[in-house]
Amino acid sequence: MRLEPRSGERIDRSKPVSFSFAGWKVAGFEGDTLGSAAFAAGKRVFSRSFKYHRPRGLLCCSGHCPNCLMTVDGVPNVRVCTEPIREGAVVEGQNVRWSLDFDFMSVTDKVGGPFTPVGFYYRTFIRPRRLWPFYEKFLRSAAGLGELDEHAGYSRRYDTEHRKARVLVVGGGPAGRAAALAAAASGDGVVLVDEDASLNGMQLDGVEVLAPARALGIWEGGLVPVDAGTVLYRFRAARIIVATGAIEQPLVFPGNDLIGVMLPGGVRRLVNDFSIKPGNRAIVVAADDEGFEVADDLSEAGVAVPRVIDLRETRPRELVAQGGKGRVRRLVVDGESFDCDLLVASGGRQPAYSLLAQAGARIEFDSELGVFVPTELPSGVEAVGSVTGDGLGKVDPEPAYGGKGKCFVCVCEDVTTKDMKRAIAEGFDSIELAKRYTTTTMGPCQGKLCHLPSIRLYSKETRVYEAAIGTTTARPPWAPVELGLLAGRELTPARRTSMHWSHAEAGATIQWAGPWKRPYAYGEKPEDEVRAVHESLGVIDVSTLGKLFVEGPEAVALLERLYPNRFGDMKSGRIRYGVLTSDAGRIMDDGTIARLADDLYYVTTTSTGADAVTAWFEWWNAVWGYEAEIVNVTGAIAAVNLAGPQSRDALQRLTEADVSAEAFKYLDAQEIDVAGVPTLALRIGFVGELGYELHFPSPAGEYLWGQLVAEGARPFGLEPQRILRLEKGHVIVGQDTDSESNLYSAGMSWLPKLDKDDFVGKYALEHFAEREEKERLVGFTMEEDVLPAEGAQIVVEGFPAGRVTSARRSEAVGSVIGLAWVPTDRAKNGTRVEIRVDRLLRGARVTHGAFFDSAGQRMRS
Amino acid sequence: MSRAFLSPSRCDAGTLTSPLRRALEGANSAAVRDLSLEGVVEIRGDSDLVEVAEGEDLVRLSPQRGYIFTDGDPADVAERLRAGGVLAYDATGALAGMAIESEQVVRRLTDLDLDELPTSGPFAHVTAIVRRADDGWVEVYVQQEYGHYVAEAVVDALTGLDTSRGLTRGQTPDVSDPDGSPA
Repeated sequence: MRLEPRSGERIDRSKPVSFSFAGWKVAGFEGDTLGSAAFAAGKRVFSRSFKYHRPRGLLCCSGHCPNCLMTVDGVPNVRVCTEPIREGAVVEGQNVRWSLDFDFMSVTDKVGGPFTPVGFYYRTFIRPRRLWPFYEKFLRSAAGLGELDEHAGYSRRYDTEHRKARVLVVGGGPAGRAAALAAAASGDGVVLVDEDASLNGMQLDGVEVLAPARALGIWEGGLVPVDAGTVLYRFRAARIIVATGAIEQPLVFPGNDLIGVMLPGGVRRLVNDFSIKPGNRAIVVAADDEGFEVADDLSEAGVAVPRVIDLRETRPRELVAQGGKGRVRRLVVDGESFDCDLLVASGGRQPAYSLLAQAGARIEFDSELGVFVPTELPSGVEAVGSVTGDGLGKVDPEPAYGGKGKCFVCVCEDVTTKDMKRAIAEGFDSIELAKRYTTTTMGPCQGKLCHLPSIRLYSKETRVYEAAIGTTTARPPWAPVELGLLAGRELTPARRTSMHWSHAEAGATIQWAGPWKRPYAYGEKPEDEVRAVHESLGVIDVSTLGKLFVEGPEAVALLERLYPNRFGDMKSGRIRYGVLTSDAGRIMDDGTIARLADDLYYVTTTSTGADAVTAWFEWWNAVWGYEAEIVNVTGAIAAVNLAGPQSRDALQRLTEADVSAEAFKYLDAQEIDVAGVPTLALRIGFVGELGYELHFPSPAGEYLWGQLVAEGARPFGLEPQRILRLEKGHVIVGQDTDSESNLYSAGMSWLPKLDKDDFVGKYALEHFAEREEKERLVGFTMEEDVLPAEGAQIVVEGFPAGRVTSARRSEAVGSVIGLAWVPTDRAKNGTRVEIRVDRLLRGARVTHGAFFDSAGQRMRS
Repeated sequence: MSRAFLSPSRCDAGTLTSPLRRALEGANSAAVRDLSLEGVVEIRGDSDLVEVAEGEDLVRLSPQRGYIFTDGDPADVAERLRAGGVLAYDATGALAGMAIESEQVVRRLTDLDLDELPTSGPFAHVTAIVRRADDGWVEVYVQQEYGHYVAEAVVDALTGLDTSRGLTRGQTPDVSDPDGSPA
């Protein structure tokens, strides 16, 4: 029920807002929270408890307790007491079977108590062990919080922002505001963050106010992540002032979780901020001055307050809240009964020191105040206000009041005093062990409302002073945070060549190829593109190849020592194939090396190998100290492979240079001008046809691609390229080789020059040259028209003995062909092997050399 | 060997396209500008030997490596530097560059200290060179092959800034790209 308009109320009654609450349409006002509006509309049951499914209502109204956790617009575990109202929001209960008001699972509260003591599932459900998955599924569905939709997409946008602050003040109460203003007097760069939405827009001279926003933790280097809803601010602050205040603590007595039992601050927020009359008849039980202040507020709001019990003056043995249907109806104090529909209970305030503890502050029990306070603070972190204990009076309530009924120490996890006592009796004789066994303080409030009460109870039961018990470890985040906010905006770096959009506009199917986005093919039938390359002219974007300059007086010495083959005898303008091996002689990468000048080499690598090869070169050069520079120009230079019998004529039409077979031989490298673009042309070809790799400034990519297509070149993608290279038996490093492959087992024994003085992997290659390899990489031709999967087993005498690394159907060869690792005794040309295809063994013949144009005449023509 | 195949400036007029063209199509030019075709030269060797001319700005990444951002022809600049004993390469085609007006957008994509520019480090998860222009805008250079992706991330961050500005906890901005990936 709303009160008459009051000064200071946060709601704007001229702006009604409506939303759905557990299926009911509820109206509130701008300025309300979802929780306050629902409460004003008469809703009292906001959640069901974790284990016993007891009905729970508003308790703290400050975003600390678990009682108002609900699913809002599909997002679970939202505290509706602080969630701003918004039009059309859909608010639903969670952890319920049927409805918030009637939950079938509440039967566990009626009958489960004796059968579900603390840790029951540890003991009861361990045998038979094989049934644990069933138990786990049942237990997890029976107890818990909201449910995540594992298949949900992004429900909202989250951003991360990196900020710096000279002074970051956490907490916008009087002490925090004063500290912020004082800091601002000596310079700018002061930021104040506070959870309270009412501070949004507050003007403080020289202070930036971020609200509602919540500091999640304090890390080294002054890193403070701040949850501002849809933006995670990652502050780096030179000075951090913590002014998080103190948190009201509940009293521990039977029935302390009934709806209508509230903390004073929660009641005052309902009355003063949202102008809600929270009940008709209230009893106040308090261990500090808060109780008296709330009594005044209630009286002013028209709530009868027949009794205020000051626990500092009277120390009742029995204190029991009783009610019906989960709602408080009366309070019984040492046998004397007081009717009420609102019971305000305060166990004093505990400094909210968690952020300080995470930052490394020492936390000690202050026996004068009866609470834990920070004593030693880490460098760069300060504390002001009641978080230090300032302004707090001594509180010393009974750890637990007697009486009949469930008496909750931890409302998040439904842990009762009986559970705690049982844990102690079972030998969990430290607060950390008891925490893990009972899960007290491990629920959504993260100990804000149960840490101190549990230590008080532990102290009483074990007869150990609180100071000796100490605290449990405070860990970030200080408050629950949405995983989406921590994840931030999803950014997936993608490399695109400068011709990418030409491919996309030509209808290419784009696929990931390592870090690159590349065309798979340009039409439905990759074989059409293969045919074009064989019969006329094709062009493929090979800009993804790694490209390096190796330049300097000792560039050749560096390359000679990096590669197992020779480069010193190459003339300028010539190209040679090279394979890099590791120290262990294993194949790392391959590519071509063109000598452009005496002291300048142009090295290409595999598409995914550029960065690793650059690092490999630089690392070795740092060791050897050659006078040579390694410059990765992969991005600077675009490249295409113009291939097919018509490629020479097409290129000739675009250049004034002589590209005839005589003037531009196979494995030549020449600088030429192609359609107005300075180009390094390499007469090589991975696809086995007459061809030219054209390397040119990347910004000219789209233009030159267009020129080549206009000359009749048909674009072909990765899949046609893979068919074409397989027809030639060309190996793809990483596809056909693995970390154990060496040049001898991969059929490239012709490449290493073991008479060279030294090179990376020489010792290993000398060893490989002398030993008999167990397996070899060979080509194969299927006897039938069946296509083995890459990775398919080579089967010998019924046992797996090898694997297929590549296989394609080749129109030019007229068969299914591929590459495979087979036992050495099966590696001879023409040997029959069996390959498992769809569970059946299919015959194939080992085929040495290229499958198509085995003499290489087309490529060299 | 001329190394002209490294230099966009040696291409005929009308042959060049910025790697950011598609990503910045329709973007607010008052918020982000394309710098991709402006001259950049990578230097190797003792950067103390580099004589910086008018219209040039040297960003040192290490004592032996740096970039010169130039208003002139980068191929000419590279030749001049080579004549002075420093290895230099026209890196204009290697880098995609953009100038961003909003520091807040930049802060959403990098944790680099913007008070300590120029610098290099992660920007939208890729390595970038970040420097401050005379007009206060922040200039970001990344490998050109990442240019489109980074430009999309910048445009996305601009959009995010508009949608999340003024929102409070619990309010949901309108997200036109619900899968969240600009890639």
